[in-house]
Amino acid sequence: MIFNELILPVLLVTVVLVVGAYLVAVIDEVIAGALGRPSGAGAWMAPLAQGAWLLNQQANATEAPDWRAWRLAPALYLALAAIGLAVVPFSPTLIATDLVTSVVLWGSVEALATVVIFLHGWSANTLLALIGAYRYVALGLSYILISMFVLIGVALPAESLQFSQVVASQEELWNVIRQPLGLPLFLIVGLGMTFWGPLNLADSRDLAGGTASAVSGPPRLVWNLARAAMLVAFSGAAASAFLGGWLGPWLPGPVWMLLKMLAVLAVLLLIGRLMPRVQPERCVTLMWVVFLPLSFVDLIWAGVEALW
Amino acid sequence: MAVSWLQRLAARASVPVFPVRGMHGEEVLYRLALTPGVELVDSPRHASILLVAGGVPPDQYGALRRVHDQLPAPFATLWYRSQPLDELASATRIDDPDVLSGALKAMHHELMCGKRGSSPRLLPDEPPNPWEGLGDDGHGGEGMMGGVPYGRPMAMNMHDDIRDGLTLDSLTVTLGPFLPMLPPGLSVEVTLQGDLIQTWTTRDPPYPIALESVFFQALQGPVPIAELERAMARYHLKHLYFALRLAGLEALALTALRLAFESHSNPKRVATLRRRLVRSGFFGLTTTGQGRLDEETARRVGGVAARAAGLEEDWRSEDEGYRQLGFRPLTQRQGDTGARWRQTLAEVEQSLQLAAQAEQDATHTRHSDGVETPRGTWHRQWPEDQSTLLDDLLPGLEWDEALSTLASLDLVPLSPWSLEEASGAPVAQAIAEERRA
Repeated sequence: MIFNELILPVLLVTVVLVVGAYLVAVIDEVIAGALGRPSGAGAWMAPLAQGAWLLNQQANATEAPDWRAWRLAPALYLALAAIGLAVVPFSPTLIATDLVTSVVLWGSVEALATVVIFLHGWSANTLLALIGAYRYVALGLSYILISMFVLIGVALPAESLQFSQVVASQEELWNVIRQPLGLPLFLIVGLGMTFWGPLNLADSRDLAGGTASAVSGPPRLVWNLARAAMLVAFSGAAASAFLGGWLGPWLPGPVWMLLKMLAVLAVLLLIGRLMPRVQPERCVTLMWVVFLPLSFVDLIWAGVEALW
Repeated sequence: MAVSWLQRLAARASVPVFPVRGMHGEEVLYRLALTPGVELVDSPRHASILLVAGGVPPDQYGALRRVHDQLPAPFATLWYRSQPLDELASATRIDDPDVLSGALKAMHHELMCGKRGSSPRLLPDEPPNPWEGLGDDGHGGEGMMGGVPYGRPMAMNMHDDIRDGLTLDSLTVTLGPFLPMLPPGLSVEVTLQGDLIQTWTTRDPPYPIALESVFFQALQGPVPIAELERAMARYHLKHLYFALRLAGLEALALTALRLAFESHSNPKRVATLRRRLVRSGFFGLTTTGQGRLDEETARRVGGVAARAAGLEEDWRSEDEGYRQLGFRPLTQRQGDTGARWRQTLAEVEQSLQLAAQAEQDATHTRHSDGVETPRGTWHRQWPEDQSTLLDDLLPGLEWDEALSTLASLDLVPLSPWSLEEASGAPVAQAIAEERRA
């Protein structure tokens, strides 16, 4: 009882998040190397060496930060990633928490991430971090709205707000084919909520690292880990919602799920390296004028398909 | 002292270096950007080594000390062709670019393994100004806003919004002279509402930039056009590297830099780079038609900025040697950030084509009373600092738009020394002293 309902779920989430975050760093290194960045310690060793360096580095202070919020924000973001991953099913039975409202919980993770990212930038009490925080809040709503419509789209054929039911509803046809607009839109949401690549407006280079510009040492390690972990959690949600989750021939369900998560991660990381950062104003326009209406179309498409 | 496995592992990490770009220190940073095992970071908080590359004027030592003290322990400093601060007299100074990357790696290794102590703090760990003790909450403002507690202006809703009707608190800050996103040496006072720039006031101009000696020789007598054009292409490609890196396109930025370092780049490879930039969305996603220069301002700036605004101003048209090669100035019409990048890429391609053509016929310049430099026409006087035009150009733009506009504009003054002369350490220091005087 305790093993199945407490130890196994905690173990599952911890292992997937830690190993997943490490793989995010490795895949990103490999892609960067393949695209021409001079490589240093090697893709497998580089993330470990950087982590060790951050553990050796002093956690600095800024002038009058909100200490509690500043130190708590990375841990909270990591906790949100863990909560998001907890509702992702790896097989019909291997699910950390099989909530009947798991899709709604995922939506709340996206919303709360906005609060935590703002907290991280604001509490440092420095200019560039604050601008990063402002930016995320200004843009967060547009990602969340798109996500909401797209996720309602996958809940319709399943007639459920439970990720495991959403996966089961794709037995005959995966949602990536059934609702062709859904996955591309959801990937945009993923880049936005994890502020990665073209949508990295919160921790961007023009802000010298944005919300993380004034962070060093172990808190920066936790923040980097949390960002990678959120990508892992997102890839789990995307694989469940659109790529049939554990469904697939020959291999065991959890293996299929992990492979699909890795595929989503690879796509996101590749986009992150190939595209420039979108200007905030262009981003707002694209979100509200192009992608949000497309998410309506996706929802109508899903509704019509469900009625058919 | 025993070295733990964690320290040994940390010593294997890429060396995170925060570069303070002094006068004529840029060139070595381009080399470091292509060096495996060295990572140039944008925040001093993310660095293990502070690299001061090039001379720093003594009146900016205070700013340098503040940057120095922002690095988290353990950290070290390395001075490349620059005189260490008096308090750090025993710090390592290197003048040979070939040994720099090795020295950085060795330094990082020693720091991690505890063989080298952390650089000492130079400033007292206390607020730079006292608490004012004025106003409702003791900060000198009204309610919970305004005032300058500890000498830091607090956000205060004193300015009307100038763009979208959303009035946020205004915050005034001083940025530079070592902020990596600004040209080296540029120091500005900026008032922001959120990330919208309300006012931008240039305090210190950027450091002068040195050109390759061929531009100086062109003012003395005929020089091979191939050499001149290759130097022009190199300059523009290095400029492009900075902007692409800022835009988050690291791979393409490094491609541009590699092209700059190749002695005989093929124009086709530049065309490929341009196509990759178009496909990546660089022109569509990172520019919004901002940073447009009117005709008068474009003429004042000269060079790429003028031609991107449709002005056919190019000294090369006056030269018989160029006319023999069929040279015609290329232009754009819009005069905005995107147009300047399109113009830059087109001019790099044109320069390499001209170089290939001129090499075949061994064509030389004919006129020596002027030369077209990457910064504009050098005739009678060299292109001077134009950074004050930012004071009118940038207000009303968001931070990202302002920085991409700034990256697309080349406003720095030209140095009276050539790149080859300026790379000598004594000269770099002399320039710093001259600036101070």
